[in-house]
Amino acid sequence: MGSLFRSETMCLAQLFLQSGTAYECLSALGEKGLVQFRDLNQNVSSFQRKFVGEVKRCEELERILAYLVQEINRADIPLPEGETSPPAPPLKQVLEMQEQLQKLEVELREVTKNKEKLRKNLLELIEYTHMLRVTKTFVKRNVEFEPTYEEFPPLENDSLLDYSCMQRLGAKLGFVSGLINQGKVEAFEKMLWRVCKGYTIVTYAELDEPLEDPETGEVIKWYVFLISFWGEQIGHKVKKICDCYHCHVYPYPNTAEERKEIQEGLNTRIQDLYTVLHKTEDYLRQVLCKAAESVYSHVIQVKKMKAIYHMLNMCSFDVTNKCLIAEVWCPEADLHELRRALEEGSRESGATIPSFMNTIPTKETPPTLIRTNKFTEGFQNIVDAYGVGSYREVNPALFTIITFPFLFAVMFGDFGHGFVMFLFALLLVLNENHPRLNQSQEIMRMFFNGRYILLLMGLFSVYTGLIYNDCFSKSVNLFGSGWSVSAMYSSSHTPAEQKKMGLWNDSVVRHNRVLQLDPSIPGVFQGPYPLGIDPIWNLATNRLTFLNSFKMKMSVILGIIHMTFGVILGIFNHLHFRKKFNIYLVSVPELLFMLCIFGYLIFMIVYKWLVYSAETSRVAPSILIEFINMFLFPASETNGLYSGQFNFGEILMTQVIHSIEYCLGCISNTASYLRLWALSLAHAQLSDVLWTMLVRVGLRVDTTYGVLLLLPVIALFAVLTIFILLIMEGLSAFLHAIRLHWVEFQNKFYVGAGTKFVPFSFRLLSSKFSDDVA
Amino acid sequence: MLEGAEFYFNVDHGYLEGLVRGCKASLLTQQDYINLVQCETLEDVKIHLQTTDYGNFLANQTNPLTVSKIDTEMRKKLCREFEYFRNHSLEPLSTFFTYMTCSYMIDNVILLMNGALQKKSVKEILVKCHPLGRFTEMEAVNIAETPSDLFNAVLVETPLAPFFQDCMSENTLDELNIELLRNKLYKSYLEAFYKFCKNHGDVTAEIMCPILEFEADRRAFIITLNSFGTELSKDDRETLYPTCGKLYPEGLRLLAQAEDFDQMRRVADHYGVYKPLFEAVGDGSGGKTLEDVFYEREVQMNVLAFNRQFHYGVFYAYTKLKEQEMRNIVWIAECISQRHRTKINSYIPIL
Repeated sequence: MGSLFRSETMCLAQLFLQSGTAYECLSALGEKGLVQFRDLNQNVSSFQRKFVGEVKRCEELERILAYLVQEINRADIPLPEGETSPPAPPLKQVLEMQEQLQKLEVELREVTKNKEKLRKNLLELIEYTHMLRVTKTFVKRNVEFEPTYEEFPPLENDSLLDYSCMQRLGAKLGFVSGLINQGKVEAFEKMLWRVCKGYTIVTYAELDEPLEDPETGEVIKWYVFLISFWGEQIGHKVKKICDCYHCHVYPYPNTAEERKEIQEGLNTRIQDLYTVLHKTEDYLRQVLCKAAESVYSHVIQVKKMKAIYHMLNMCSFDVTNKCLIAEVWCPEADLHELRRALEEGSRESGATIPSFMNTIPTKETPPTLIRTNKFTEGFQNIVDAYGVGSYREVNPALFTIITFPFLFAVMFGDFGHGFVMFLFALLLVLNENHPRLNQSQEIMRMFFNGRYILLLMGLFSVYTGLIYNDCFSKSVNLFGSGWSVSAMYSSSHTPAEQKKMGLWNDSVVRHNRVLQLDPSIPGVFQGPYPLGIDPIWNLATNRLTFLNSFKMKMSVILGIIHMTFGVILGIFNHLHFRKKFNIYLVSVPELLFMLCIFGYLIFMIVYKWLVYSAETSRVAPSILIEFINMFLFPASETNGLYSGQFNFGEILMTQVIHSIEYCLGCISNTASYLRLWALSLAHAQLSDVLWTMLVRVGLRVDTTYGVLLLLPVIALFAVLTIFILLIMEGLSAFLHAIRLHWVEFQNKFYVGAGTKFVPFSFRLLSSKFSDDVA
Repeated sequence: MLEGAEFYFNVDHGYLEGLVRGCKASLLTQQDYINLVQCETLEDVKIHLQTTDYGNFLANQTNPLTVSKIDTEMRKKLCREFEYFRNHSLEPLSTFFTYMTCSYMIDNVILLMNGALQKKSVKEILVKCHPLGRFTEMEAVNIAETPSDLFNAVLVETPLAPFFQDCMSENTLDELNIELLRNKLYKSYLEAFYKFCKNHGDVTAEIMCPILEFEADRRAFIITLNSFGTELSKDDRETLYPTCGKLYPEGLRLLAQAEDFDQMRRVADHYGVYKPLFEAVGDGSGGKTLEDVFYEREVQMNVLAFNRQFHYGVFYAYTKLKEQEMRNIVWIAECISQRHRTKINSYIPIL
């Protein structure tokens, strides 16, 4: 496989696809995902392209499939997802498939329409029964009036109005009854009052069970109302108002017998409807179940087909119209695969003339392809997020694999925390084939995608944690400290000698709160601790001062090495692109500047570490002052700019600006690496705070209660460690590591102005249903 | 309102202003129109619209596609956006939105009344009603027999109620009276909206007042133009003119006396804003109509509204621009479906 150091060499190839075989060839290419098509019809608008009719057909199929999926989902039938993805359908099958799907759609629409209609009918009947039941209580309330109604014979039902009328006191007494949506009751009543000026009596009651709207599936609360009114004019108006508020109006029975009769009729009809509805639903289910079996493969097939036609739309026709010409970018290493795919496609369609290809020279910049595996992918993504590499330039991802977790670990150095992170990442890596993890969402997905980065970050943090000798902010004494306190307290010397050498005696120990170990006294310092920081510093009050000096210097050294390495990688770029002068005039001066100033700084740091010992430490000069003086000294002798200095024109101008930018950049970048120190300090301090505020408090309580207290304290400690120290601090260290790579490291050599190689591959198509439904 | 609204504007309305500016950026470009004009069939129009911000808004439409289907779906889309704005708005922007919907409500009420007069069913006409001007009581409009009936029974609780103060009469609702009612309602609506914007002050007043002034004057001109050769008396005509425009008062008095287009043009000549517009009108056969010229001017003002920040005018301008865009698409689609391509280019570009 291709290397990670540079992107692969690409070539521009011309494919000559015989018009009969083009579809099959592209299908074969799509399965392999080898090439990226170039759009040869850029100035042809989308609806004037060659295969727009076919694309339209695919869209029509997609529409039908989306409808099927929607209906299947609504019926709660599980959609089986195939393991293998079926190939794009052969052209001969497409028509068949289309007919089959269209037939299915028509059938389905008819059945669902019937079902909806039945359900609507059913709902109406149920509403009617409810209405009858509820209005009965209205009348019962006025039971003494009921005989009055019965004295008058009921009139014929008015054909225009669905309510019945009664003759009473010379005026017509009429009823309108029905159901109204809960939210509209108030406005309805108001309008009735305003329009009919009080010639109506409205009674209503809430329906105890809400009903489902068959069209939207919404559950709505209803009110049953009964309006009694006098006069026909008003009746017309009442009817119109009912229409306006979308009331469901049902005829109101005049007598108790009629009511009973209607009720019974309704009950039998409801029973009948239920049986019919069940039968329809069963049938619908059968149809849908059958459809559900093949719907997945159909969806995939149509998607592939549509993708193929989109690609074909990018091809141009040759003069004879017999042959489609496509221009593709293809990695050189895959050319023979490409040839094989074309042969396969031609063979499949049984064409007499095979499709073929040839490479053509080009001056255009090819897209960038860097092959990754599951391990390198995450690191490549970090680099790509900054910018996709220019074609064939050095790819920083290779080095990022080590430097990124390392710089992270410098900031996150604590081997307890590192180990927890390592375990978490290991868990993800070991279970990476678990389907739940693969389909996880949001933050978990982020962790999952970066599992190998996390793994390395954890491992490196264990290492730096050992160097810092930090485990949940406590030091571990593995090899025994190199410092001896007893040597300070020796009685073999005379009191005068003791005083001179600063040795301790009983009175000194008793009267001083802070005691100082002196390494220049023989026996006090027996040599360095074998690995990392001596654990005795954990007890020292000047621990921070010591660690700060150490970490600050370490940060500067690491940063300068990192940046110098970046400049050297720039030389590789110049060599590859044959820019000889860039080496002499850019890289070498850059290196010189970097090494002469900051390289010298490193030299001073190391020199001071080596040359000055405990005895001479008091006369050791400050590196900072020394370094600043180095700059200040020549500054007093400069005479400023001479006239006509910038007459060399623009080139000189940009060069000057670039060099100034580089020089200033170097200084600010070096300072930027001090974040390594700052974050590592912050992390150590924060974990220290957590320890002193929680566990130490828990440990100090006396033994009987302490045990009880310790349990919640440890639990809280664990939770806070995970959320604050691991996740929050981890994210912050991660961000800073990213910044150090993107800005400080990559600006030394990385252009990142490329475009990504996006092959025509069916694997990039989504294999989910959810896209179609949306 | 406090002085310096820009300090507080974003607290309440910043999100919506950002949103509406984003929406404005998705209006069709000149290139889109050029492509649309080249379409052969409505299917092509659909495919092209899919590449724009309209997306697959026609995806669920069964064949064959018609212009009215496109129109309805576009209106629905605009309505969804508008509802979103409205549901997320705070006072006084919500009132502003209510004012914006009033003009559509007036149109719907008039449409329904005309329908009732011609004995058409309510459902048939409801389809034609603009979705932005929908309200529940609207369907009961045909109960009323006189304007005061209409007010007392149906519209008293709607935002339209305050505009009825001038048109309470016991006249029967025949065609002419309905038209008069529409214009009177519109007049008081425009005056109220103008007052609201004026009282609001700040940038909103600076942007909205000229737009509404123009709207008022445009109505005055159009009313005058449409009343030539009708039985409407000159005095009645004058009562219909909205009085919040630049023409008020002298211009309106002169307009009321105008008897033909030339006299109208002479009135417009007194005003620097309207003179060039009337000069742009072509005579007779070719050239632009007065309405088109007004539309162009309106588009121009609405586009300019986006140059200022921290005001409500952007919402008004966006809705109007979107409406113009819809009119353009419908125009182009009509031309395509009727194979009448000679006039296809007379849409009004939004620059």
